[in-house]
Amino acid sequence: MAEPAPPAAELALRRRLPPRLPRRPGDVYVNMQTDFKAQLSRCQKLLGPGGGCAEICIHGLGLAINRAINIALQLQAGGAGALRLAANTSTVPLADGLEPQGDEDGRPPLARARNNSAIHIRVCRAAPPP
Amino acid sequence: MSNAREKKRAKKMRNQPASVTLSSDCGPCPSGIQHHNGGSRSFQTPKQDLHPDSSQEFQQQRHQHQSPGPSYRKEQYFSKGQGRGRGGWRGGRQNVSQEMPKYITASTFAQARAAEINAMLKAVTQKSSNSLVFQTLPRHMRRRAMSHNIKRLPRRLREIARKEAEKAVHQKKEHSKNKCRKARRRHVNLVVEFNRRQKKNIWLETHIWHAKRFHMVKKWGYCLGDRPTTKSYRACYRAMTKHCLLQDLSYYCCLELNGKEEELLKVLARMCSIDTGPTFAAVPCLSGRLQGSLVLYRADRYPEDLLGPITFIWKPKDGSGITSETRQLWIWTHPSLKQDILTELKTVFQCSEPVETCSPEPIVTLLQEEKQTDVAMIVGKKRKREDNEGEKAVPVKKIIGDGTRVPLESYCWTSQTTGVVISDLTMEILRYRLIGPLSHCVLTEALKTASIQTMADAETELNNWWVENCKNSEKVSLHQRQEAIFELLQGINSPSEIAAGTILGLTVGDPRVNLPKKSSKAMPNPEKYQDNEKVRQLLLEGVPVECAHSFIWDQTICKNVTENKIPEQDLNHMRGELLVPGSQLDLGPCESKIPILLVQQPGKVAGEDRPGWGSGWDIYLPKGWGMAFWIPFIYRGARVGGLQEGLKHSEYKRTPHIPNDFPDCPAGIQFAKELENVLLEKFKRRPPAKRANYVKLGTLAPFLCPWGQLTRDWEVRNKAQEESVVTSSADSKSGATERQVPCEPKPGLTIEDSQGDIMEEMAKIQNLCKEDGAATSSGFFVLRNRKLLKQLSARCRPTCGKGQRVRPASKLGQKEMTEDALLSIFKCYPRVLVWVSLSLLRKGSPELHAMICIPTQEDFLQLNKDQLFCGPQEPKHSDIFKHKILKLKERKKKKNNGNALESGASDALEAKAVEEPKELILGLWPDPLPDVTSHCSRILLGFVTQGDFSLAAGCGEALGFVNLTGLLHMLSSQPTDKKGLVLLRTPASLQYRFARLNIEV
Repeated sequence: MAEPAPPAAELALRRRLPPRLPRRPGDVYVNMQTDFKAQLSRCQKLLGPGGGCAEICIHGLGLAINRAINIALQLQAGGAGALRLAANTSTVPLADGLEPQGDEDGRPPLARARNNSAIHIRVCRAAPPP
Repeated sequence: MSNAREKKRAKKMRNQPASVTLSSDCGPCPSGIQHHNGGSRSFQTPKQDLHPDSSQEFQQQRHQHQSPGPSYRKEQYFSKGQGRGRGGWRGGRQNVSQEMPKYITASTFAQARAAEINAMLKAVTQKSSNSLVFQTLPRHMRRRAMSHNIKRLPRRLREIARKEAEKAVHQKKEHSKNKCRKARRRHVNLVVEFNRRQKKNIWLETHIWHAKRFHMVKKWGYCLGDRPTTKSYRACYRAMTKHCLLQDLSYYCCLELNGKEEELLKVLARMCSIDTGPTFAAVPCLSGRLQGSLVLYRADRYPEDLLGPITFIWKPKDGSGITSETRQLWIWTHPSLKQDILTELKTVFQCSEPVETCSPEPIVTLLQEEKQTDVAMIVGKKRKREDNEGEKAVPVKKIIGDGTRVPLESYCWTSQTTGVVISDLTMEILRYRLIGPLSHCVLTEALKTASIQTMADAETELNNWWVENCKNSEKVSLHQRQEAIFELLQGINSPSEIAAGTILGLTVGDPRVNLPKKSSKAMPNPEKYQDNEKVRQLLLEGVPVECAHSFIWDQTICKNVTENKIPEQDLNHMRGELLVPGSQLDLGPCESKIPILLVQQPGKVAGEDRPGWGSGWDIYLPKGWGMAFWIPFIYRGARVGGLQEGLKHSEYKRTPHIPNDFPDCPAGIQFAKELENVLLEKFKRRPPAKRANYVKLGTLAPFLCPWGQLTRDWEVRNKAQEESVVTSSADSKSGATERQVPCEPKPGLTIEDSQGDIMEEMAKIQNLCKEDGAATSSGFFVLRNRKLLKQLSARCRPTCGKGQRVRPASKLGQKEMTEDALLSIFKCYPRVLVWVSLSLLRKGSPELHAMICIPTQEDFLQLNKDQLFCGPQEPKHSDIFKHKILKLKERKKKKNNGNALESGASDALEAKAVEEPKELILGLWPDPLPDVTSHCSRILLGFVTQGDFSLAAGCGEALGFVNLTGLLHMLSSQPTDKKGLVLLRTPASLQYRFARLNIEV
């Protein structure tokens, strides 16, 4: 198969997983695949009696920021004032792998950096209101 | 009732001596005597005409002669066993008066009785059945542990039982080793025994460990662990997803190519195609930074004649700038593909002369075990000794464990013209695979990089290569850089964050030294996650080329390392001599340094969900060090999987598994045949009433996917529509170029330059197909052209629907264009299969060889009406072969009744089955299958090769192949929101289920 090499620009982008810190029991990473209700009930279980967490941290990245906020607010609404939220935003550096589709030269980089926004919401049980 | 009784009696009498009838010439004898022991056949005598009522006939005859003469009483005594408890006393008395003989001759009468008595005595003593004595006892007389203790038997049977028991003991003795267990378990004898047992199927170094915990199977010339004996299906899945799963892949074969880079590339380019992805010449792979993977074809035969998928690693260049330097290339293949690939490589490179140095001379055995074999030869018994001498006559056996190599054959070839050397490094390098996010922790905890050493041990060769290396400051700094990168791995959560196929060379210390006392699970350390900048650099830029260098490429060093391994025993001895028991052992300069290679394995790359699932690291070790690395990994909490887990891993990754899912390569065909035989045997073991009748279910081929026929049938199907297609594609082609739109088949993922490129590609393929059109039509092949697959993949997706983002209108135009273009292509690819993944919409878990079918318009209507609609049902077919089989059976029975016994009959039946090419089995369609596509109510598209409930996706998922022609036909007729919906039906069910078809590139 003697074929002329295709142009150098032919690359495929493959998203890699975002970097993550090792997970503590109280960390909840929100995603868009899992059902909203399931994620909410998971948080409720963690916070509830027997859940074993005094505070949980809800992480949302990119598209899931909305959902993370939603979950936190729903938790607060359902918690009858016993829960306190503390939100933090951050920027997460992401890497997209570049995969050459042919044998062309040009030494393409292995990955391309990109940033995305993230939110980390701490939900903790507050002292019961007087 | 009486019928059953008669049968029972006939069965009983079968074992009675039939030969002892008195000859008819002894006239004066009362004829009744004959009946008594003549068995059922001699019942009809003229005297019985007096008693025509047949139901009581034989009972009467039995007792006909009870009273006459005292000598009869004796006979009565013997016959008690048979006649006891039967009725007919009255009838007997009646007879007495009529049959009283006038006189008897004493001598002849006594002779006859004596003969009878002898025969009966013989019959009593000799047992004719196969069963043991206690097994013949009636149930109420059986006792517990009868076979063990003779005294539990009735006294009359004890003698026979004793003899039987003795016989059994004798038989056992013949089988058993005539040594006591202690002697057998002595180390030297054990090693001799192990060597004998692994002559045929080679053991991996971890064999004994596996054999204690796994179901072992003999495959591809190896003994491999299939699956753990413990319940661990789900645990292994969890290990892959969240923890770490360890696999021994040492059975994979490594072929080394040595030669000038240009020479190698020029020839290898003929064996692969750039259409299928990057080839050997891809820049990052060629530099030695990344591992590459591709599919090999026979030279210049693309896209047919697949050899199989491989992975390859180039040894990084030492000096820079010189292009024509000698390069080393490792090609890793599956053992079932190895022979094909090796022979093809040899012919392509014209390597025929075996290299002298590598010819099968008795090579010094390297494993310690082998050394001990020699010791055992001196110590062991005579018989063993002979065995070993016999082994010595075949010195190739001494090359440690290669199951795929033919003995007495060289494993290294060179070519006069090109100077390329091909060597077979099978089993020279071990390969373990770690899968899962915790593999970083396991690796970094288990392995410690080697310390710099400048003083060599003068006596031994131990580590002298390392000392030599450490004298060079450049190399020391390289080692430190490698070490730094290795340390960084601790701060990365998952192997999938690193570039796919990254190679990291390393030299590590003896992992046995820092083995923890207790097995524990390695957990990530949050403190290691601080070093952000360096980690980010590693993720973006990958491991630098220099750091991919490892001493494992150098065979002399590998040999040195293998030979100078400190035995486990010595190590334990040293541990025992420590001043503080249990403290860390410090070997100092005596600690071995082992060169290893770490290669990142990308997990799930295709598709959109679960990116990077199942990624991990492969670790390459020099041989002899298998267990030394295995145990430390397990002590760090890695769970071990076998072949089944490997299969599941590839299933969840949705990648084709070797060799199951390569139906167009020789190994795949072979595998399919073996699988068919296994399944057919399993099917035939059940009685016909207890197994599925696949004819009634409308399943033509439940055990084997008839790819050839499927593609042929689709070709025939399309011939009818061909004319219209030709005209449409002709005018659409001109229109297509006008309608060019910059397209992205995978939105956001691909940087494709232009559509024209694809059109060019297609034109090229069309030409190519025209050239060897004859060859193309002979067989089928699997489409592996990435561009075409991408086009197809884009077309399979629904354009609008629930949960799907609506694509811009411009894309729709592009799609039409590709449709026309693709339609024109598939004419040139008449017999092409496409690898697809399917996920079920609702219930159902697909099975192996499930059928992929095209849903009809009514099915969609029903689905629209009822969201919970599971799928249509296949109407029951009629079994047209049933009465044929019955007829055949009857005919056979008649024949067999005429001449053969029952046992002989089954033999004859089997023999006949072998003779007849068209064997009829109840429930299976005989061989020339009808049109497979239109046999059922829904048109058949393809078959599933892997299918199960997916723990990863939470629904049934399947992988398989569909015919390209059929797929395009289906897609063109489906409504936009239902694009890619197919029906799945398992072979043993009538229920169709909806599934979504995806092509992932």
